[in-house]
Amino acid sequence: MTNLAENLRDLQQRFTVAAEAATDERALESLRVAYLGRNGEVTKLRRAIGELPAHERPQAGKAVNDVVAVMEERLRRRLENFDSRKVASELAASIDVTFPAIPAALGSLHPVRRIIDESCAYFRRHGFAVVVGAEAESDYYNFDALNIPSDHPSRESFDSFRLSDGMLLRPHTSAMQIRTMQRHRPPVAIVAPGKCYRRDAVDARHLFQFHQVEGLLVAEGIHFGHLKGMLTRLCRQLFGPDQNVRFRPSYFPFTEPSAEVDTTCPKCRGARGPCSMCGGSGWIELGGAGMVHPCVLREVGYEPDRYSGWAFGFGVERLGLARYEVDDIRRFVASDRDFLTQLA
Amino acid sequence: MLVPISWLREFVAVPNDAQAVADRLAMLGFPVAAIERRPRIAGVVVGRIATVERHPNADRLLVARVDVARPQAQTIATAATNVAAGQTIAVATIGATLPELTIRARTMRGVASEGMMISAGELALPAPWFEDGIMQLDGSLTPGTDVVEAFGLDGDVLDVEVTPNRPDAMAILGLARELAASYDLPLRVPSFVNPGRREEPPGARPAVSVESPDCERFVAQRFDGLRVGPAPAWMRIRLALAGQRPINNLVDVSNYVMLETGQPLHFYDAGEIAGGRLIVRDAHDGERLITLDGVERALSPRALVIADEARALGLAGLMGGASSEVTPATTAIVLEAANFNGPRIRRMSAALGLRTEASARHEKSLAPALTDAGAARASQLLTDFGATAYRPHAFGAPAAAAPPIALHVAEVERLLGLALPAERIVRHLRALGCEAVVTQNGTALSVTPPPWRRDLAIAADLVEEVARIEGYDRIPEALPSVPAHAISSAAFQLENAIALALAGLGYHEVVTHSLRRSGGPAAVEVRNPLSEEHRVLRESLAPGLIEYFAGAGEPIRVFEIGRVFARDGDRLVERTGAAFGFSVDGPGEPSWRDSAFLRLKGDCEALLRRVTGARAAVTPGSVPGFHPGKTGSVTLGDRRVGVIGAVDPRRAKACDLPGNAYLCLIDVDALPPHRTPHYRVRSKFPSTYRDLALTVDTAVAAAEIEEAIAQVLGSLCTEVRAFDEYRGPQVGEGRKSLAVRVTLQRSETTITDEEADDAVTRVLDALGERFGATIRT
Ligand SMILES: [Zn+2]
Repeated sequence: MTNLAENLRDLQQRFTVAAEAATDERALESLRVAYLGRNGEVTKLRRAIGELPAHERPQAGKAVNDVVAVMEERLRRRLENFDSRKVASELAASIDVTFPAIPAALGSLHPVRRIIDESCAYFRRHGFAVVVGAEAESDYYNFDALNIPSDHPSRESFDSFRLSDGMLLRPHTSAMQIRTMQRHRPPVAIVAPGKCYRRDAVDARHLFQFHQVEGLLVAEGIHFGHLKGMLTRLCRQLFGPDQNVRFRPSYFPFTEPSAEVDTTCPKCRGARGPCSMCGGSGWIELGGAGMVHPCVLREVGYEPDRYSGWAFGFGVERLGLARYEVDDIRRFVASDRDFLTQLA
Repeated sequence: MLVPISWLREFVAVPNDAQAVADRLAMLGFPVAAIERRPRIAGVVVGRIATVERHPNADRLLVARVDVARPQAQTIATAATNVAAGQTIAVATIGATLPELTIRARTMRGVASEGMMISAGELALPAPWFEDGIMQLDGSLTPGTDVVEAFGLDGDVLDVEVTPNRPDAMAILGLARELAASYDLPLRVPSFVNPGRREEPPGARPAVSVESPDCERFVAQRFDGLRVGPAPAWMRIRLALAGQRPINNLVDVSNYVMLETGQPLHFYDAGEIAGGRLIVRDAHDGERLITLDGVERALSPRALVIADEARALGLAGLMGGASSEVTPATTAIVLEAANFNGPRIRRMSAALGLRTEASARHEKSLAPALTDAGAARASQLLTDFGATAYRPHAFGAPAAAAPPIALHVAEVERLLGLALPAERIVRHLRALGCEAVVTQNGTALSVTPPPWRRDLAIAADLVEEVARIEGYDRIPEALPSVPAHAISSAAFQLENAIALALAGLGYHEVVTHSLRRSGGPAAVEVRNPLSEEHRVLRESLAPGLIEYFAGAGEPIRVFEIGRVFARDGDRLVERTGAAFGFSVDGPGEPSWRDSAFLRLKGDCEALLRRVTGARAAVTPGSVPGFHPGKTGSVTLGDRRVGVIGAVDPRRAKACDLPGNAYLCLIDVDALPPHRTPHYRVRSKFPSTYRDLALTVDTAVAAAEIEEAIAQVLGSLCTEVRAFDEYRGPQVGEGRKSLAVRVTLQRSETTITDEEADDAVTRVLDALGERFGATIRT
């Protein structure tokens, strides 16, 4: 018994010294294994208790348990100490938050699509559907059905790429008006975005391929005031709440009355000083619009006395030039990574 | 069209403020492309030369005494040589401001000069269009009159654009009428009464045969007693301000009347009309004609000519001929004021590559009634110049009055959303020259358009006129309530879903040219390309993206959605394609592994999963332009929807790609509609897995192994996935090692180790039998 007590005291002492000397969690763990593990020293002593006389055993067992409790308590305290040191060293870390970010791998939509999407989303909120159509179209849909017979002087302004007799690359999206009205009785409310082609020499303001958004609303009781209301709000959607829209009389064979639609130059805000965007007029051209010509309605079997409606078409790239303050329209089709990432 | 404000102000008292008038014209439908600002000129008056003497001290100078309506005549020295006593000239008096100088009193070689006699150039007129030296004014002018005021030299010039429906507004008078209506000012219309009343002397009466239906009306009129010389200064200055070079009094009158009224005229030397008869006919095949520009032209019957009994004298509506041209010796002329079919003139103009001020008007189908007005105005001016005017003879259809148009007052509100009272509608229409009568108790109007407005035919045309004069800006904005309809947006939404998914996967959208330099045998050619570079419609989006990669230089991930075209027999097939991919610096992997391809395949699977809800598979295949060993077909079920692979390295090299590129092309039109995914409850019992290291022939595809394992294990297996491949000396020539993870799970109980081991044994037996697979140890 005395022997056991001495051994225990000796063990506890050695353990205390080693535990205090331990410098990390691993050292503490091996200490635990050496003393309290399956083959540890304390465990060996506990086995020795079985050889003691029966009356001494309870006392010896208690002595061993007391020592084990003390050792475990010390281990726990030491371990806690290491944890708080670890947290403290974590808290001591400090970085330069101004260091450049690791770039995200997000892609982007082309500025043309973004303008188309925002415009179409606006019209969809108002109950319009978005339709798309073929780029190779017939003379009938591009011209004849739109009240532009082959002798008409305004065919000149649609200098088109011809594919075969009667087929051409569409110079405007207006063919979609006819295709939609032929398929559906009124009411019809659509926007038709898409690529168009004209034989324009390419320069900083012209491309031979460009995008248009066409709009058409035909029902009973639709008038020019509705056209003004919708397009004004569209421009405010795209450019901000102070945007103004101007409707000027113009001429298109497929609308009557017809209008040219301008919107406040977003660069100079209509200041009328020198401006590279609007040339000093204070306005940029949005596109053409007007009340659908009775001949066009009749062509698709609508009754012009009963139904009225309007149509408009505007150029997307030209709007993009103004919206993103792009200096040269050719950038919209150039291999220009910088253009994409700047506007992404 | 160049429009001097001063000329407009002869007919309507618009403000002498170019910007204000330009803004007003724009809001009437005539945008002003540019405003040509006139310089400020002051202190220039009319002078009459009393005497001219040699300068006492200088041989090359003259000294004139000039009456400028001051108490004393001014002494003015000049180096000009075209001065003589009696001339009326422009004098810049002391203190006058000219564009480039201010006039001060000065002494020229001992003679005190009190001002300066000036040239056209010094009045900021195009000097080469006027006489050398001092500008000669008209003798009728009173000395001392302010020259700037008298000739309207202070009025700016507007460059006005006129839409093709309004040839009547390609005229100062037409625009003045518009402004008068808009400003609600009176229009001072010149008289259109032809002063020609007399009968011609025997044999001098002009005869006209109209042999073509493309000439609706032809007014011919003879003038005698002409003296060809310079036109008066006021006419020359007006023409010059309007951009028309003065030539001589006859040519200038025809140009002046055209600019003022819009009716082109032509004057023939009366002595050069063989047989005294003008014939409007188709040209004979191969007929030759030297036009006024000195070009000899070979004509076809598609050309419409004015001929005499011997030969063609001129191209109808386009340009006269040299043979009957007015010369300095001309004393008698025959005037032509004709109306030709617009489309015929446009086709002729295009075929001959000749466009003139006259054809620009004729081709838009002028009103026949203008012919009489044009002849009358020319007749007045020529009479003023001392000519004898005989009476005009009109041939062809009489200018019939247009039928009246019924316009319901309510129609204005129905189309514009702006209610206007009948009186106001009537006032606007009358201001434009219409006759408007209120009918049906004030609810409707009967409107007869003026003879010069061929474009007004239906009620909607009149509504536009009313809106223009009322002002588009007075139409109130409103929001329509759009009635329900059944039109689908599906195609647009699909394109957008693809675009959004690809942007989310890190691709930047680009737009490339649809027209390319070359294409395959099924490519669609453009008949009238702008250049060799853009001759053929693209059959695939791939070439555009490869060019984009080459142009961008550094590696980039891009996509494009657009149309592709092909010819199928006589049919033109147009489909929507979506293409995405990326460029890479160069290969860095063994020949049997390509992680770039696998990354692209992962994006392809993610995209198709997103837009169709279905799982895509890639099966081996080859496509021209793609790498023969790194290309596959993209399929959804048994539907082939695209191609995926590495660009053929030879093609990459030819396109100057620094490394290579990987592309996936999706045929959007072939995609099935989106299927909504359904949720399946997973087994709540734990799963286990086994990794198999197999050795098979290189020809065995990973997908075949995966499929075979899934088939053998049935519902026991929840996932099977190859996760590594190795080829090399350890596995031997022609063989490869595949690592496959098989996940096993039961739905109603926990799977045991024994079951799992048994499953592996079954799999290995089957794979050994079917593929000669062995277990790699
Ligand atoms: Zn601006």
